Amino acid sequence: MFLCFMFMSKKVKMGVKAENGTLTKIVPPLEQQLSEEIDLKVKKYLRGEGANLEILQDKKLKGQLSVREELYGRSAKQAAKTEKWLMPSEGGYLEAEGIEKTWRIRQEDIAREVDISSSRNQFDITLPNLGPYTMDFTSSGRYMTFGGKKGHLAIVDMKNMNLVKEFQVRETVRDVVFLHNELFFAAAQKKYPYIYNRDGTELHCLKEHGAVSRLQFLKNHFLLASLNKSGQLHYQDVTMGEMVGNYKTGVGRTDVMKVNPFNGVVALGHSGGTVSMWKPTSSAPLLKILCHRGPVSALAFHPNGHLMATAGKEKKIKLWDLRKLDSELQNLPGHANTLDFSQKGLLARGTGSSVQVLGDFSGAQNYSRYMNHSMVKGYQIGKVLFRPYEDVLAIGHSMGWSSILIPGSGEPNFDSWVANPFETSKQRSEKEVRSLLDKLPPETIMLDPTKIGTLRPAKKKEKPTKQEREDEMEAAIESAKDMDFKRKTKGRNKPSKKVKKRQELVAKAKRPFLGQNTKEEELLARKKQKTSEEVELPVSLQRFAKKKAAT
Amino acid sequence: MADTKRKSGDNHSNRKKGKKQKTSSTQRDTNRKRRGPRLPSQLRKQLDRLNPGGGGDGSSSGSDVDERIESDEGEVYVGNDVYEYEEGVPEEESQKNRRFDRVENLEYEMPDEFEDENLSSDDDNEGDNAKGVSSGDEVEEDDDGKHSRMLQGITGMPGEAFEGKKKKSNTTLVTEAYAESEYNPTSDVLDGHGRISVEDLLDPLRNKSGYSKLKKRVHQMERKSNHTQAPLHKAERERLERKAAYEQSNKDSVKWVPLIKRNREAGTLIFDNDVELGFSTVGAIASEFEPRTEFEKKIASLVHDDKVMDAHQKDGSRLLELNQVSAEDERDRQNRIAKLRSLLFRHEMKSKHIKKIKSKTFHRLLKKDRLKAASSEYEIDPEAVKELARKHEYERAKERMTLRHKTNSMWAKRIKERGLNAQDEGTRAAIAEQQHIHARLTRKMNSMKDTSSSEESSDEDESDEDSPGEQDRTSRLLDEAKQKTLKVLNEEDEVPNSGLLSLPFMVRGMKKRNEVAAEEAKLALEDYESLSKQLEGSSRGESPKVGPSSGRMVFNAAGKQQAPRSSKTKSDDRTKADGLYDASDSENDLQTEDNNEDGDIVRNDSQQDINIDPSLLHEVLNGHQDGLFKSFDDIVKDPGPKTTHEVSIFASGTWKKVKTGNDQVKGGNNDASKKKSPVAVEPVSEKQDLQETGKEFSEDSDSESEGQMVDGILFSGGPKASSYELPSQAELIHQAFAADNVEDNFEKHKQEILNEENPEPEKPVLLPGWGQWTNVQQKKGLPSWMVKEHDAAKKKREEALKKRKDAQLKHVIISEKLDKRAEKLYTRTLPFPYSSKEVFEQSIRMPIGPEFNPATVVGALNRPEV
Repeated sequence: MFLCFMFMSKKVKMGVKAENGTLTKIVPPLEQQLSEEIDLKVKKYLRGEGANLEILQDKKLKGQLSVREELYGRSAKQAAKTEKWLMPSEGGYLEAEGIEKTWRIRQEDIAREVDISSSRNQFDITLPNLGPYTMDFTSSGRYMTFGGKKGHLAIVDMKNMNLVKEFQVRETVRDVVFLHNELFFAAAQKKYPYIYNRDGTELHCLKEHGAVSRLQFLKNHFLLASLNKSGQLHYQDVTMGEMVGNYKTGVGRTDVMKVNPFNGVVALGHSGGTVSMWKPTSSAPLLKILCHRGPVSALAFHPNGHLMATAGKEKKIKLWDLRKLDSELQNLPGHANTLDFSQKGLLARGTGSSVQVLGDFSGAQNYSRYMNHSMVKGYQIGKVLFRPYEDVLAIGHSMGWSSILIPGSGEPNFDSWVANPFETSKQRSEKEVRSLLDKLPPETIMLDPTKIGTLRPAKKKEKPTKQEREDEMEAAIESAKDMDFKRKTKGRNKPSKKVKKRQELVAKAKRPFLGQNTKEEELLARKKQKTSEEVELPVSLQRFAKKKAAT
Repeated sequence: MADTKRKSGDNHSNRKKGKKQKTSSTQRDTNRKRRGPRLPSQLRKQLDRLNPGGGGDGSSSGSDVDERIESDEGEVYVGNDVYEYEEGVPEEESQKNRRFDRVENLEYEMPDEFEDENLSSDDDNEGDNAKGVSSGDEVEEDDDGKHSRMLQGITGMPGEAFEGKKKKSNTTLVTEAYAESEYNPTSDVLDGHGRISVEDLLDPLRNKSGYSKLKKRVHQMERKSNHTQAPLHKAERERLERKAAYEQSNKDSVKWVPLIKRNREAGTLIFDNDVELGFSTVGAIASEFEPRTEFEKKIASLVHDDKVMDAHQKDGSRLLELNQVSAEDERDRQNRIAKLRSLLFRHEMKSKHIKKIKSKTFHRLLKKDRLKAASSEYEIDPEAVKELARKHEYERAKERMTLRHKTNSMWAKRIKERGLNAQDEGTRAAIAEQQHIHARLTRKMNSMKDTSSSEESSDEDESDEDSPGEQDRTSRLLDEAKQKTLKVLNEEDEVPNSGLLSLPFMVRGMKKRNEVAAEEAKLALEDYESLSKQLEGSSRGESPKVGPSSGRMVFNAAGKQQAPRSSKTKSDDRTKADGLYDASDSENDLQTEDNNEDGDIVRNDSQQDINIDPSLLHEVLNGHQDGLFKSFDDIVKDPGPKTTHEVSIFASGTWKKVKTGNDQVKGGNNDASKKKSPVAVEPVSEKQDLQETGKEFSEDSDSESEGQMVDGILFSGGPKASSYELPSQAELIHQAFAADNVEDNFEKHKQEILNEENPEPEKPVLLPGWGQWTNVQQKKGLPSWMVKEHDAAKKKREEALKKRKDAQLKHVIISEKLDKRAEKLYTRTLPFPYSSKEVFEQSIRMPIGPEFNPATVVGALNRPEV
C-alpha cells in the first residue's frame, strides 16, 4: 500500500518549529507563484477595494483619501509579507493516489504514519456508567471539559492528558461550556445552569435561566446564552451578572443551538424545519430561514461566519451561504445528530455510531466526503467537536468520548494574541484583563458587524419622540412670545390688549401639538383597551387565571 | 504711484499740447484777421455751413479730427443761439471794446498765488483758463513775429521749430463763430486741454521793468522744469492706492502659496521644528538684567555695594551693623503705625454701629411680639378685652363695607386668572392669607347650623328605635323620618371652606364621616320604605311587585340586621358585578356563589322576615341561573386567545375549589341548575387545553367536548391523568406531521410577520344607514375618496413589501425591526468632507489599530494631523 499524505501537527512556540509530516514533497515555489500568493494575501488584507475616488468633487478629500489608500496598500503588503515569514507551518491533508480514496483511510493507517505526539491524540475513553457525554474546548484547544448526562463533570488538560478536576453533581447534565478561559465553565443541569471554577467549586447558580438544554458562550461579548426547555432564550452578561436578554422563541422546545463565531448571532434550529437567528437586543429573530421540511437536528457555522450547515430529520444536510440566502449552496443526503466545522473548514457530522468528515477541496464550497470513522456498534454519538489548533476531532458518545485524527482540520499557526495553547498563568491573566477591556457591548451583535460605523440606514418613518415634540412645542411657544406686534392706533395698543393678543398667539402655537398628543393618547388608549379586553376575564373566572409571573 | 506719475505726465503732455494748440489757435485767429475782411457774424456762420470742412481737409492727426468735431458742435450750439444774440452777453463782461476796466489783470501781480490756484482744481482752472483766454485775446493782438520771438526766448529753441509748427497748424484752420473770449472759449478750453501757461500770462510783463524778481523766479522754475502736479480726486487717489496695495499684497501672498500647498498635501504637519524659546527660567532672565533707568541704577549700586556683598559672603553679622536705623526713622514709622491703627479703630467702631442697626424684619417681629404680649394682657384685663372686642367689631364693619380682602383687587384677579397652581409658594400663601382674613372678618356671628343638624340626626335615631305601634302613627313617623333624612342628605353637602375645618385632613375626615352618614341615611331610608311596604302588604295583602324587585332589597334588609359592614361589601360586589354583567339579574347569583354559608342562612332569615314566597325566589333564582349559564356559554363561544389560555392551564388545578363551593351551595336549598354551570366551565377548559396542546384536534373538538359534557363529573379526573402524556404525544404528532405543511406554515407565518410590520389597510366600510337613503345612493356604492384611499394604502403597503430584503426569498424572513440600542453604533449623518456614502464606507473599511497592522506601517497609518 502506497499512501501519500501530508500530515502536519502544527504548533510553533517561540521558534519551536513544527515537525513536518512524514512524506512531504515540497515543490520549490517559483517566483511567480510567490508573488501571486502575496498578491492574494494582500487582497485579503486590503479587506475590500478602495472607493472610486473619481466621483469625488472635493479635491482635498480626494488627496487625503488617496494618501490613505496608499498607506492601506503598504500596510496590506507588509502584512502579507509578515504572514509569509511568520507563519511557516502549512496545514496538511490526506492525499490519495491512484484508486485510493481518502475516506477509506482508517485511523489505524494514519496512526502508523504520524509522529508519536500526534498518534497520542487517538484514543477512546470508555465511561459506560454516566451516560452520553458532551464536551467543550477552550478557544486555544488546550483544555477540554466534558459532562456526562448522569452528572459527571471534568476538566482535562489535553496537552498532557492530565485530569485537572473531576466531580459528580448527581443530576442530569445536558451541556457544558467553557467561559472565556479554562478557569470557569458552565454546566446545564437538571433545573438550572451552574457556573463552576476549575476546582469544581460552584460559583453561581443561574436560576433565571430555568432548565436549560443548551448553553453557548459568546467570547467577545462575555455573554452566556442559554436555551431552556420552554424555548426561552436567555442572555446573561457573565462579567456584571446582568441579564441582557430574555426572549421567547415561540416555536417550541429545541436543543439545536449554535453561535456564529463571526458575529455572535445565536442560531436555533426548530422542529418546523426553520432556523432562526437571534441577537440579545431584539425580541424578534433577525432572520428566519426555512431550511428543511423536517425538524432541524443539527447546525454548525464555518469560522468565517458565512457558511452554515444544517441537518434535517428528513435525511438532508444543507449548506447555506448567509450572505446569499436565495437557495442552499449544497444539498447532501444523510442524517446528522451533530455537526461541526473545523477551523480550516472541514465539516464533521455524527450520526448513530459513525462519523463522517466532509471537506471542501475544490475551493468552490463544494463539500465532499473526506474521511469516515465508525465507532463500536451501539455507541450513540452525541456530539462531535474539532479541537482548535489540532488535527483532532473529539467525539462524545454514550460510552464515553473518543478522539481521532483528521489531518488538515486545525489551524496550524496560532496567534498568541488570540489563543495560545502554551499560555502561562501570567499570560492568561493578562489576556483576561485585556479581553475584558475589549469586551463588546451586546448591541454590537448583528448580522453584518462590518456595518458598524457606517451611515445609519434611513428610517422608514420618523416619528418624533416625546422629548423632541416637547422641545418643538417649547420653541414654538417661545417664538410666539417673542413676536413683535405692529404698533396699532391709540386705542388698540393698550398693554392689556397686547397681553391678550399674546396669549392668543401662544394658544395658537400650542394647538397643533396638543392635537397630536391627544391623538396619540387616544391611539394608545384604544390599543390598551383592546389588550385589556382580551385579558379581562369575568369575575367568576378570574380565580382560574394564572397569576402573572413576577419576573 | 507709478500710475499717478504716468497720469500726471499725461496731464503734462496734455498741457503742452494744449499750449501748442492754443498757440496755433491764436495764429489761426490772427490769420483769419489778416486774410479776410471782417464779416458780420451771421454771414460768417453761413459760410461755415456751406463748407463745413473748411480748412480741415488736410488734417491727418486724430486729435485734430476730434477737435474739429468738437468745434462743429460748438458751432451748432452757437448757431442755435443766433436769435438770442441780443440777450447773450453784456458788453462790459465780454470786454470786447475795452471800454471797461480790466480788473482781472491786476491779479497777475501775485504770480505765486495764481500758480497755486491754477493747480488746485478744475473749476479754478476753468476760471483761470477763461481769464487766460480773455488775456489771450490781448495776446492775439501781438503779431506773429513777436510771438515766435517770445517762444524762442522762453524755450531757447530756434524759431524755425516754431515756424514749422506754425505752418502745420496753418494747414488745419478752424474758424470759430465768435472771437474767443471768456464766454466763448475755444473747444480745447472746454475740453480742459487748452491750458494757458504761466508764460502766456507773463508775456505782457516781459518788457516792463520792475518785475525782475518775478522774472527771475519764473526763469528758475523753468529751468528746473519740475512741475508740481495737481493732486487727484480723493476717490481716485484712494483707488490707485488700493490698487497698488493689492498688487503688493498679492505679491506677498503668492510668496506663501507653495508652503500652503505643501502643508495642505502633507499628511502630518510638524510645527515644532525650530522653535527657540529664549529664556526658560526666571533666574536666567534675572541674570541678564541690566539697570537702565536712573532708579534701577541706584538700586543696583546699593545692591551691588561692595560692603553689602562682602557682608553677605561672610557671616552676616556685618549685615546687622549695616542695618542700623536712625531714631528719626523709627519715630516716623511709629507715627505711621499709630495713624493706621486709629483709622482701623474708627472703622471698627463704625461697623459696630452699623451692626447695631436692626433690620425691618427685626422690628416687625419685635412688634409682633409686643402685640402678643398685649393680647395676653387682654385676657387678664377686662377693660382691655372690651377694647379689643370693639376693635374687632370695627374691623369687621370696615371689612364688610369695603370688602377689601375679597379677591377683587387687580392683583388677586390676575392671579386667579393665571391659576393658583401656576403661582409660587409665597403668592399662594398670600392669597390664602387674604381669603382667611376675609372669611374671618365677614363670618356671621354665632351661626347655629351645626347644632341644629345634630339635633335632627338624634331625632332620626329616635325614630329608628321607635317600633311601629299603631299603623298610621308609624307610617306618619316613617314619612317624617324619611323626609328628614333626605333633607339631611341634601344638606350635608355644604362644607365649610375656611378656618380649621378647611384644612385638608379635616376636610378628608369630614368627607369620610359624611359618607358614612350618607350610607346610614340611605340604609335608614330603605328601611323606612321596606317597613312602609310591609305595612301596606299586611294591610292589603302581598303586592305582586315585591317578588321580582326583591333582589337587593332582601339583602339589604338582611344586611341591616347583620352588620352595616357586610352590606357595604355586598354593594361593592354589586358594583363590581355591574361592571361585568349589565343585567342586574345576575348579580344576585354572583352573590350566591361568592357568599359563604352564613350568607345563605342570613338570606333565609331575611326571606322569612319579609314574607316573600320561597317559590317565587326559586323562580327568580332559576332564571338568573340560566342567565349565568348563558353568560358562560358566551365566554365559551368567543374567547379571547389569552383568557382561554390562562384558564385552561389552571382550570384543572382549581377545579376542586369550585366544586367545593358548589357543594356548599347544594347544601342550601338550590336545585340542579347550579350544578350545571360548573360543568359547563369544565368542558370549556378541557377544550382549550386540547387546543393548546394538539392543534390537530382543532375543528372537531367541539363535538368531543359536548360528549364529555354529558359525562360531567366523570371527566373531571381526566385531564390530570392525561397531563403527563399530552406533551409528548403532541410532540410525536408534531414530528410525525411536521413535514406535511411546513412550507405553508412558514408562508403563513411570514405573512403574519409582514402584516405585523406593515399592517394591511382596513377595508372601507360605511356606517349602516348613512348614504343609503335611496336606490341611487346604494348603487353608487362607496364614495370614490374612500376607495381611492384604500387603494393608495394598499399600494403603499405593497411597495413597502417589495422593498423588503426578503421580498424575493420565499423561505426567508428578515426582520426589518430597527434596534434602537444598536442605532448608536451607526453614523447619524455623513461626516463633513464626504459627499458620498460609498466613499465614506470604503474609507473606514480598514482597521488602523496596532492589532491589525504591521508595526512598520501602523505609525504612518495613525499619525496625527499635527
